[in-house]
Amino acid sequence: MREENLILEIKGNSLDDGPGIRTVVFLKGCPLACLWCHNPEGRKPGPEISFDKSKCIDCGACVDICPSGALSGSHRFFIDREKCTLCFLCVDACPSTALGRVGQAMTVSEITKKVLRDKPFFDSSGGGVTLSGGEPSLNMEFAAELLGNFKQHHLHTLIETCGYFNHGKFTALILPFVDVIYYDLKLFDEKEHKKYCGTSNTVIIDNFIKLADIADNAAWRIIPRIPMIPDITDREDNLNALADFLQHKAKQVSLLHYNPLWLDKNSKIGTDFEVSGDSKMKEWIKPEKIKFYESIFIKKGIEVVSA
Amino acid sequence: MNFITSLLLKTMAFMFNIRPSLKKYLRTTDGWINFSVGIKLENGKLEQSITFRNGKASVSGKIAPDTDVVMRFVNKETVKEMLKITPNEMLGLILHNKMVLDGNIAYLQLFNFYLSLLLGKKHQRMLAKKNKDDSSYRKKEYATGGHEARGREIADRNKNRLKGMRTDENVRYLEDPYLSEYSIDNFPRIKKFLNDHFTLKPAICTERPRLLTQWFRENGFESDAEGILWQPEIRAALAYRYLMENRKPIIHSNDLIAGTSTSKEPTGVIIYPDAQGTMIWGELGSVDKRALNPYTISEEDALVLHDIFTFWTKRNFREYVRNKYNNPLCLSIDERWVYYFVWKSVGISHTIPDFPKLLNKGINGIMEEIDLRLKDEKNTEANTISLTAMKITLEGVIAYAKNLAGEASVLASSEKNPVRKKELERLVGICTKVPAGPSETLDEAVNALWIVWVALHMENTNTGLSLGRLDQWLQPYFAKDMGNISTESERREYIAHAIELVACFFMRGTDHLPLVPDIGNYLFGGSSSDQAITIGGMTTEGQDGVNDMTYIILKVTEMLSIRDPNVNARFSMEKNSDAYLKRLCEVNYITVATPSMHSDENVAASLAPHGYKIEDIRDWAATGCVEPTLCGRHMGHTGSILMNMVAAFEMALNNGRHPAMDWNLGPSTGSIEKGSFSTFDDFFSAYAAQQEFLIDQAVELNNLLAEAHTVLRPTPFLSSLIDGSIEKGTDVTKGGARYNTSGSSNIGLADVTDSLMVIKKLVFDDKIISFAELKKAVDANFNGYPKILALVKNRVPIFGSGNMESLALANRITEFIHGCYHRHTNYRGGKYTAGFWSMSQHVAYGSLSGALPSGRLAGKAFTPGLTPQPSASKNFLDNIMDVARLNPRHMDNNIAFNVKLMPGLAGKREGTIDSMCSYVKTYFQQGGMQMQFNVVTSEVLKDAMAHPENYRNLLVRISGYNAYFVTLNREMQIELIERTGYGI
Repeated sequence: MREENLILEIKGNSLDDGPGIRTVVFLKGCPLACLWCHNPEGRKPGPEISFDKSKCIDCGACVDICPSGALSGSHRFFIDREKCTLCFLCVDACPSTALGRVGQAMTVSEITKKVLRDKPFFDSSGGGVTLSGGEPSLNMEFAAELLGNFKQHHLHTLIETCGYFNHGKFTALILPFVDVIYYDLKLFDEKEHKKYCGTSNTVIIDNFIKLADIADNAAWRIIPRIPMIPDITDREDNLNALADFLQHKAKQVSLLHYNPLWLDKNSKIGTDFEVSGDSKMKEWIKPEKIKFYESIFIKKGIEVVSA
Repeated sequence: MNFITSLLLKTMAFMFNIRPSLKKYLRTTDGWINFSVGIKLENGKLEQSITFRNGKASVSGKIAPDTDVVMRFVNKETVKEMLKITPNEMLGLILHNKMVLDGNIAYLQLFNFYLSLLLGKKHQRMLAKKNKDDSSYRKKEYATGGHEARGREIADRNKNRLKGMRTDENVRYLEDPYLSEYSIDNFPRIKKFLNDHFTLKPAICTERPRLLTQWFRENGFESDAEGILWQPEIRAALAYRYLMENRKPIIHSNDLIAGTSTSKEPTGVIIYPDAQGTMIWGELGSVDKRALNPYTISEEDALVLHDIFTFWTKRNFREYVRNKYNNPLCLSIDERWVYYFVWKSVGISHTIPDFPKLLNKGINGIMEEIDLRLKDEKNTEANTISLTAMKITLEGVIAYAKNLAGEASVLASSEKNPVRKKELERLVGICTKVPAGPSETLDEAVNALWIVWVALHMENTNTGLSLGRLDQWLQPYFAKDMGNISTESERREYIAHAIELVACFFMRGTDHLPLVPDIGNYLFGGSSSDQAITIGGMTTEGQDGVNDMTYIILKVTEMLSIRDPNVNARFSMEKNSDAYLKRLCEVNYITVATPSMHSDENVAASLAPHGYKIEDIRDWAATGCVEPTLCGRHMGHTGSILMNMVAAFEMALNNGRHPAMDWNLGPSTGSIEKGSFSTFDDFFSAYAAQQEFLIDQAVELNNLLAEAHTVLRPTPFLSSLIDGSIEKGTDVTKGGARYNTSGSSNIGLADVTDSLMVIKKLVFDDKIISFAELKKAVDANFNGYPKILALVKNRVPIFGSGNMESLALANRITEFIHGCYHRHTNYRGGKYTAGFWSMSQHVAYGSLSGALPSGRLAGKAFTPGLTPQPSASKNFLDNIMDVARLNPRHMDNNIAFNVKLMPGLAGKREGTIDSMCSYVKTYFQQGGMQMQFNVVTSEVLKDAMAHPENYRNLLVRISGYNAYFVTLNREMQIELIERTGYGI
């Protein structure tokens, strides 16, 4: 167990992370390493420092205050993360929020208090709170405590998970407090999964089967979601394989439409990630493609729903 | 400079002296026009004047003390600039403090008119070039890719309309209250009206001023032909009756409703020369070619108006106050445009007449009531005069209706189409019966309303006069008609007829526009008459007020998507259904910008301290923009004062001096540079003192102008339709109404709150920067101070962020402002109220204000109404909660909370509507009073800037009123694009 549980962000007024108006709690740290990760700052469990060049006003306050000489305009990412000791003095000194701390330690009661501010909107819209990440089940005890707390306040709860968890613990700790599980499936082929997501998918597939088996009589619902990543997950063979797998195990599936908005996030946290100039990764998904993807699942009798 | 100016004026004088074609303009029906205009520089280096006397023009190097109007220029560059602009732009020089005007602005307009006679052709070429340049600039600057899809997105919202369920107990006849089967395509008649509305240019109509001036010239204004002083009310009534008897009775082609507001079709501009009418004088030659909202006018009509205007140069509200009170300071402040605007120089129209009484009793019934009242032995002479005047005006209205019946009969006899013939014959019957007698059918009620509406605008300026709770008042007639029908198919047909009739009524409401001189395009851009209609809420008995007519009016609102009438919906959390709220949101989504939504409970809470009767409060309706009037019994002149809070704040920053105007106007409240402020509260007190000073001045002017109305334009006809007036035997301008208040709106709440928060946090609490340093940065518009700007923008929790301290500060300010007004009594003996909406003044005032400690840069718009800054919070819910938590008791003239919602291209239609419902409902539950959405993306707005021809009907809500986006000035368009937006 880690000493602290870091929160990436608590985002209110989300209309895309479950029913109604929702507040999403993003937890830091994820066991997978998907190439296309839309929240790359959520991968590492520990705190990080970020730099957004577009916000920098070049005032030099950070360079002056840095005790380790880690900041320099000549460094590719501005911050030399080899030298940086994560003291965050520069973040406090930065007037423009170009430098930022990624990951705030918050207690369960602090998080709950912040989420509860939006409760009137949950009540009027049938919304609630969503745990996301990173991977919220990475620290199962913490996630469970949060969800339990939310339930005490009668909030509708949803967890977004990559499925890479210990099934026994998930069943014991999470299931009692959750109304909906958004369960991400990416690639059905194990080798491909290893290649693009950094791990095998056998745990993920097994966990899904176990949950799907008991879902019919459970108080919670599970909806598999598949991100449509150009030329990786959106290939016809992968979608056919997933559709075959889901047939008889799920009544519904949600297909996540790809957007390129995440591309500049990597450089902020000092990660190299380049896509070639003509990559489809730089484009928004086309409506006619969506129709085609959906047809693959509809043919198997699976309803495509928006998440 | 002296030489050039002198040469110009001498050339002008020479031309007018020798050319008969020009000389004819020196004389009108009243004789020679004698006046003088001075031009000088602030530093005294230039002084010239031109005098027109008894048909001769002469130029002098001196400005005599009795010169009618003097243009004081800031420097010689601005004089040169004047020589290069067209007459419509002249007043813009005042707006930007390049020139100060001393004296009667009508004479400047006359001078401009003379200039345009000399330079008219040149001016037209200049305007044409400017318009062309503007259009290509827009295309270059704002063109975006894929604009066809953008245009289609809004049109597509009309597809897959939701079906409703009958859940509202007072909806008796509509199986699907959402009336989803109907669209504009079902009503070809209305489609034609709508097309005319969007394609035909409005024309200036001379009928009203011509007939009235004719009567006054014959019968005298101050005194009659025998030299006996007129009783103003009697004079006004007789002139009014003459106008109503002699104006042309027109039945708009193929319309179901008889009568027009002007003699021009489809849209006429009404002129009120006793108010702001003469402001168009200088533009008579160019108004047709101006870039924004041009009007057509024939040369002949221009000459008619020139002749009329000379009669009114001194007989208008402003000049009455200037002459009687020796050009008081409160008037001079108003004439700099930047501190406050007192609407009474234009009219007192922001009220709602007692239409139920009109429909129930008819004008004959009201006359009987007056007759009875006249017999009261305790009547004073003043009572008898007021009551007699009311009666005379009512005779005028009956005469007009009779003329309409005659016209309908003439048209019917020559009509070939049998269907139309029948309609015209029906109109003969209707106009013979109403509004003289009580209405018995929906057709009669709607026609009676319209005839009286036209008649009201013949007396009162068409600015903000409002229609009230039409759904409540028309429902009995609709229900009665439906009750008389036995078959299902006839009922369906009648519902379609009711929709068409109400649509005709809405379109009739577009048949007139207020006169907007070009400067008005920058001050009140795109505004029309702002005839508010209010639907829903509670009945006066406290029951669910949503009925069949509520949904019929909503259907019409959706089908037409027009800016005016301005539809306002009341929503009672306690009594109204979610189905009704959902329909409001669907209509808002389809039309982009209407209706605006109000919480019944929270508006009632704001009115509670006034001690009105509860059933009267329940009968409130929006007036002009959003302001509450208790229908038919309340002269609230809710748009009296538009106060610039930021001007007061800037004066506090500068020890009483307004920087842009460079005027040491306010009290000395301390110098930041000299370290006068040792605590935050010290500075708050300085702001408070400046604010109170401006409020006191605005109130004084409002009271003086109110007196001017009683002398120049008392309103006996309106009085006959406001409860209390007949009983008291007193005109409403003198306090005849049962309830009397004056409403203010205070503009810049978020900007002032945030600026104060920045000072509090950075200077006094955290001591990160000194006050003097911050002031230097503000004075430099933050140029060279990027670090301070960054601190200001990132380190201070502002209003709308969910921070309790900034919220408390906002509440402290509203409480203070409300208190300042509340101490005063208005001319009619009532209280002042405080509102926080901005019409379009947040843009106009913004363009005249310097940078603020909040980080808002010089010249930028303030936030609209009391809407939080875009940067307040990433979470829209924080915005909603903060606005909802403002105390309604300090906002008794209502608020405007604007939100731009930006739907994704692949819109989830019903989901979007459901989210809107949740926002509104929660906001109301938390205490919010009013909320209005623009459901449009910035990309669509940019595309509309580049291709206005594709977006003629794109409706947007400014702050309280609606406008067509393409009719707005560029600053307002940019403000809408930059306005806080949230994805949905």
